[in-house]
Amino acid sequence: MAALGLSHTALGILALTAYALGAAGYAVNLLRPAPLAARAATVLSAAGVLLNFAALYRRASELHSVPYRDLLGSMALFGFFLGLLNLVLEARHRDRSLGAFLIPTALVFLLASMLITPQSRPAGPELRGSVFALHVTLNMLAYAAFAVACALSALYLVVRRYLKSVRLLGMDGPASRLPTLGYLERANRTSLGVGVLALAAGLILGIFWATRVWGAEHPRWALDPKVLVALLTLVFYAVITLRAHRGAAPVTTARLTVAGFLLVLVSYTAINLLFSRLHVFT
Amino acid sequence: MQLVYVGWDHHGAPLDLRERLALSPERAVEALRGLFEEQILTEGAIVSTCNRAEIYGLTERDDDFGALASYFSRFHSVDGDWLLRTAQSGRGDATVRHLFRVSAGLDSMVLGEAQILGQVREAHRVASAAKTTRAVTNRLFQAAVECGKRVRSETTLGTRPTSVAGIALALAGKIFETLTDKKVLLIGAGEMAELTTRLLVDDGVSDLAFCNRSEDKARALAQASNGRFVPWDRRVAAFAEVDVVLSATGSPEPIVTAEQLKKALHRRRGPLLVLDLAVPRDIDPAVDDLSDVYRYDVDALKGLAEKNAAERHADVPKAEAIVEESVARFDVWWSGLNQAGVLRGLHDKLEAMRRAELEKYAGKLSRLSEEDRRTVERLTETLVHKILHEPTVGLKEGDASERLERAAAVKALFKLEDER
Repeated sequence: MAALGLSHTALGILALTAYALGAAGYAVNLLRPAPLAARAATVLSAAGVLLNFAALYRRASELHSVPYRDLLGSMALFGFFLGLLNLVLEARHRDRSLGAFLIPTALVFLLASMLITPQSRPAGPELRGSVFALHVTLNMLAYAAFAVACALSALYLVVRRYLKSVRLLGMDGPASRLPTLGYLERANRTSLGVGVLALAAGLILGIFWATRVWGAEHPRWALDPKVLVALLTLVFYAVITLRAHRGAAPVTTARLTVAGFLLVLVSYTAINLLFSRLHVFT
Repeated sequence: MQLVYVGWDHHGAPLDLRERLALSPERAVEALRGLFEEQILTEGAIVSTCNRAEIYGLTERDDDFGALASYFSRFHSVDGDWLLRTAQSGRGDATVRHLFRVSAGLDSMVLGEAQILGQVREAHRVASAAKTTRAVTNRLFQAAVECGKRVRSETTLGTRPTSVAGIALALAGKIFETLTDKKVLLIGAGEMAELTTRLLVDDGVSDLAFCNRSEDKARALAQASNGRFVPWDRRVAAFAEVDVVLSATGSPEPIVTAEQLKKALHRRRGPLLVLDLAVPRDIDPAVDDLSDVYRYDVDALKGLAEKNAAERHADVPKAEAIVEESVARFDVWWSGLNQAGVLRGLHDKLEAMRRAELEKYAGKLSRLSEEDRRTVERLTETLVHKILHEPTVGLKEGDASERLERAAAVKALFKLEDER
C-alpha cells in the first residue's frame, strides 16, 4: 500500500486520471471494436477503483471517521461503487459496453467531490460508530446500484428502439455494439435487487442509529424530508423489483427504473441541500 | 524461377468441371508430389473449395501453364483443351495478388465471405504437413492469411451478414445472449424451414418445435431433428412458450393476427423474435405494437442484406489497397532473395567488417613496414574471399526452392536487410 503515502487529493487525482483513460478506452471500443483499448480500459478502471478506495481510506485516517460523512466523501464513495459495480458486471457478463457509461459517471462524481471544499470540523462521537458507517455505506451502495440500473434501463430502451427500427437504420452504428436485450434485462434485475436490499438494510441501520442518537433531542426525526423520500424510494424500487421478478414487461420496468432514478437524484441532492434541516452532511 | 498459379474458379469454370477438379487433402498432396516428380514445380499448395481448385507454386519452367494444365488433364482424366480454355493463371506478382485477393474474400462468389480465409489456412496446413511447401510458398500463404485477417478487421468485408438467414441469426444475437438455451418454433415445412433448422442446430439450438398445416411433414421434421411436434390449432398458443418463431408457410392470408397474439402473450415475459419469411406474410404486421415482439419480414431481412452487401462493396477499394500493400511487402521480401543481391549484401557486410577491424588495429599496423602492411591487407582480403566461396557456390546449387531457402538462411544468419 505504498500509494497510501500520498495525500487523499493526490490519490484522487491519480484515480481521476485512471478513470479518464479507462473511460476513453471503453468509448473507443464501443465506437469501433478495439480489443487492446478494451483490455486497457478494464485494467485502468480497476486501477481507478483501487486508487479511489485508497483516497477514501487516506481521508478516513486523516478525519478519524468514515470519509463520507460529508458531501465530498459521499460523492467519492458513490464514484467508487459505480466503478466497482462496472467491474463486477463486466467480469460476470463478459461485456464491456457498460463501462463507456459508468466509468465517466464515476469520474464525474469523483471530480465533483474534489471540487467541493472539505469540511474541517472534526467528527463528533456520534459519527464514529460502525452503525453510522454501515448505514451510509449501504445507502451509497444502494444509490450506486440504482444508478447502474438506470444506465442499464436507458440502454435497454435504446437497444429496443434500435431493434424495432433496424430495418430503417441498418445494422451498423454504436447501438449495434451495445449489449443484448437479454443481458440488459437480467443485469437490470440484479442491480435493482442489490439496490433494494442495500437500501432496506441501510435504512434499518439508520433508524436504529437515529433512535439512539437523535431520539431524545430530535423526537420528530422520522418526519425529516430526506428520511421520508428515502422510504418512498425504497417502496418504489421494491415494487419495481418485485414486478420485474414476477414477469412484468421489461420495457415497463426499464421506463420505471429510469424515472425512479430521478427520484433518487432528488433525494440525494435537492433535499440534502435545500429542505432537510436535521439530516444534512456535517 | 518464379511463382505461378493456375486455377479453375466460379469466374471461368462451370460447376461440372469444378466438381471434377475438387480434391480431398490426401489427393491434393498426391497431385503435388506428382508435380514435383515431373519437375513442373519445386514447391506448392492447392486450394480446393466448391468454388475453386487452384494450385500455387514455384517453377523454373517457361512452359509452366501448359505443363500444369497437361498434368491436371491426366491427373483428373479431363480434356486438356477444356482445362486450358477455362483456367485462370498468373505469374510473379499476379500470383501473389490473386492469392491475397482470394484470402481477403475479394474473389469470392459472395463478396467477403468468411469461409475462404479458413480454407486458405487449411490448404497451407495440409501442404506444410506433407512438406510440399517450403520457404517461398510458406511465406506466401502466411502473408495471404495475414492479409485476409487485415481486410476483415479493417473493412466491413466479412463483418456483416449478407444472406437472409445470416441477418436473421445476427438479429437473434442482438436480442438474446445465446441461442443455445432458447426455444424455437418453426411454422411451415418447406425448404426454408429445413434450411433454417440446419443453421439453428449448427448454432447450438436444441429445443425445436415444428408446426405445419399438414401434420405428417411437421412430424417428419420434428423426428429428424429431435424436435417437438405442435398441432396446427395450437400454433398461436405455442408463441407464448418459445423465444423465436420462424414462419414460412404458403398461406394466402396471415396465420396469426395481432389480436390473437396479444391474448396469447398476455402472461409471457421476455423478448420474442418473430421471423416471417413467407410471401404473402404469415404474421399480421400489427404485432409490432406489442412491446416485447420483434418482428422481421422478408422485405426487412432482404433490405438489411442488400444494405450490408452495398456497404461491403463500398469498402472494396479499401480492401484492394490493403491487398496491394501486402503484395508490395511480399515483393520486398521476394526481391531480397535474389541470388546476386544476397551475395552482394554478404560481400558488403564482410568487407565492412574487414575494414572496421583494420581500422581498429591501424595504430599497431602503422608500426609495420609498408610491405608487411600490404601483406596483412591481402591476408584479410583472401580470408573474406575464402569465406564467401562456399556460400557463393551453395546459393547456385539445387532446385529453385533449395536456392531460395539457402538465400533466406544466409540473410537471416548474417542479418542482411531487404533493399527497399
